[in-house]
Amino acid sequence: MTPTMNRRRFLGAAGALGAALAAPRLARGESKTLVAATFPGTWSEADRQVILPAFKQATGATVTQSIILGTDQVARLVAAKGNKPPFDVAFFDAPQVIDAVREGLIVEYPVDKSPNFKELLPSAQDKWGPRITMQVIGIGYNPSKITGPPQSWDDLLDPKYKGRVGLTALNSQLGIAFLAEINRIKGGSEENFDPAFKFLKELLPNVGAIGANLGAFATLWQQEQIDIAPYNFNFVQTLKAKDVPVELSIPATGPVGWSTSLHVVANAAEPELAVQYIDTHLGAAIQGQLLKPPYDVIPTNAKVTLSGAITTSLAKTQDDLAKIRTLNWEKLNPQRGALIDRFNREIKI
Amino acid sequence: MRVSDSMLALPLTAIFVACFVAPLAVLLLLSLHGDISMTGWTLGNYAKFFTDRFNYSILVETLLLGLKATLVCLIFGFPIAWLCSRASPRWQSVLLFLVILPILTSVVVRTFSWIVILGRQGVLNQIVLGLHLSHEPLRLLYTEVGVVIVLAQVQMPLMVLPILAVLSKIDPNLADASRVLGAGEWRTLWRVTLPLSLPGVIAGCILTYSASITAFVTQSLIGGARLIYMPLHIYQQAVGANNWPFAAAVSIIFMVTVMIVVAVLSAIGRRSETYGGA
Repeated sequence: MTPTMNRRRFLGAAGALGAALAAPRLARGESKTLVAATFPGTWSEADRQVILPAFKQATGATVTQSIILGTDQVARLVAAKGNKPPFDVAFFDAPQVIDAVREGLIVEYPVDKSPNFKELLPSAQDKWGPRITMQVIGIGYNPSKITGPPQSWDDLLDPKYKGRVGLTALNSQLGIAFLAEINRIKGGSEENFDPAFKFLKELLPNVGAIGANLGAFATLWQQEQIDIAPYNFNFVQTLKAKDVPVELSIPATGPVGWSTSLHVVANAAEPELAVQYIDTHLGAAIQGQLLKPPYDVIPTNAKVTLSGAITTSLAKTQDDLAKIRTLNWEKLNPQRGALIDRFNREIKI
Repeated sequence: MRVSDSMLALPLTAIFVACFVAPLAVLLLLSLHGDISMTGWTLGNYAKFFTDRFNYSILVETLLLGLKATLVCLIFGFPIAWLCSRASPRWQSVLLFLVILPILTSVVVRTFSWIVILGRQGVLNQIVLGLHLSHEPLRLLYTEVGVVIVLAQVQMPLMVLPILAVLSKIDPNLADASRVLGAGEWRTLWRVTLPLSLPGVIAGCILTYSASITAFVTQSLIGGARLIYMPLHIYQQAVGANNWPFAAAVSIIFMVTVMIVVAVLSAIGRRSETYGGA
């Protein structure tokens, strides 16, 4: 048989191929799909295991996860301005909310369509979108190498940790928050970051590795490449669940954190579903479920009673949570570029 | 070429224009403006790059990194290609499979497995400590040596395959003639095989070089944030600092520099072809 391809056969084959590609879509029938951004790590997991089944049950719609960091989400939404946005629900840390509002990337949250919204703590009821949790930083350390939890950020300077201290680049939230907190403790201000950079200079001999992103930073702990470093409560919990020897200690100067929130993207393809999806994150039952390990997500619904790892290392009550110091992103955001630049120059080998 | 033949290239040309030329034009335009809304023309971004030692030291280090990785690749890749070309057909397919194997897994996976190998608790350090070659674990991860080692392995197929293609086309009679005329194995390799294989070596170097200097994943995962190369620099400016025009300018500068390097290598390659044919 000689393989010949005439026009009729070609069209037939192309038609069959087209039908095959379209089939799964047809089989899914009328069910709608929402595209929601989520953070890598704890959140993508929590969304998939807890939120998605609950959302599907309530609405019948399916969700496609877009797993990207907040800064990358802003970049993509800016790039798609004027066109259809790449996702319907944005997942931001506090500083990105300011950028997104300024750029007109998100719309005001329709509070009246979200029954769970009014159950949130007053501080979590932001008009641009509900705050669903808080991220808190402290000193992460390897308990098998370091005896007794570190008490102060100054412990990082201890010569016995030469080559054992880790840092992350400033494009992560963790990096900026750490820098801002050190700056505050060392007497700097939002206009003057010299004290923080002086601290970094002193710290450099101890620094063994600087993770380019948070994924790489987690690997540093897993490979025991570092023993002590600024770290984030939820990342510590995730690693602990995987039997990585790491604990979080809150220094005497207190915990520092920022809120994480959900937003309806401007010109979203499925704005109604987006609100329902966001509202699913707010209910007391769901937040109670997310409070359990391995997620250990700090709740923002006032009806949730705190329990578990949070109460041992961060806060006993909702009032304690309210006392966690936040950062002034309005002032910090415009300086981000300059800070990253300065950080790169001063830490470069 | 008949008109209908050139018509066949139209779809590809259309895709190329839409997906490559147009974005490149946007990139160039963006780099010539002060802000993202593109009001007012300026060369400020380029001036900022070249008046700051920090920026061009990153460029130079990136180009040097590519050179080092390419050299290591060549030193290890050429003998592999040579062995491959001289092996029996059966062994040749086995060796070829082993060479191509790395391409079959994602570069992210390959890079992460190198973290496991190079880390403080990694395979390599376990061996070094086990053999009492050193008192404490060697620092390989987050050093330039580590980046070069990993890049060389990750990009190895790009070096081996072009060299192998050229080596296997060399007339075996030439080597026999060389031996008959009294040259030993080494002399034959040095005076006959190596010069004839130069076009393949150059092609391999171009591929490895351009892949190594732009390898964002490997550079940032193995090098960390303390070793800053151009791809990470561009990423940080665009996403971290939200300074798109400057990131665009850095991208254009990087692209032009790479094109110059590749052009020089190609020119050498063309000369070596005439040498090989003579």
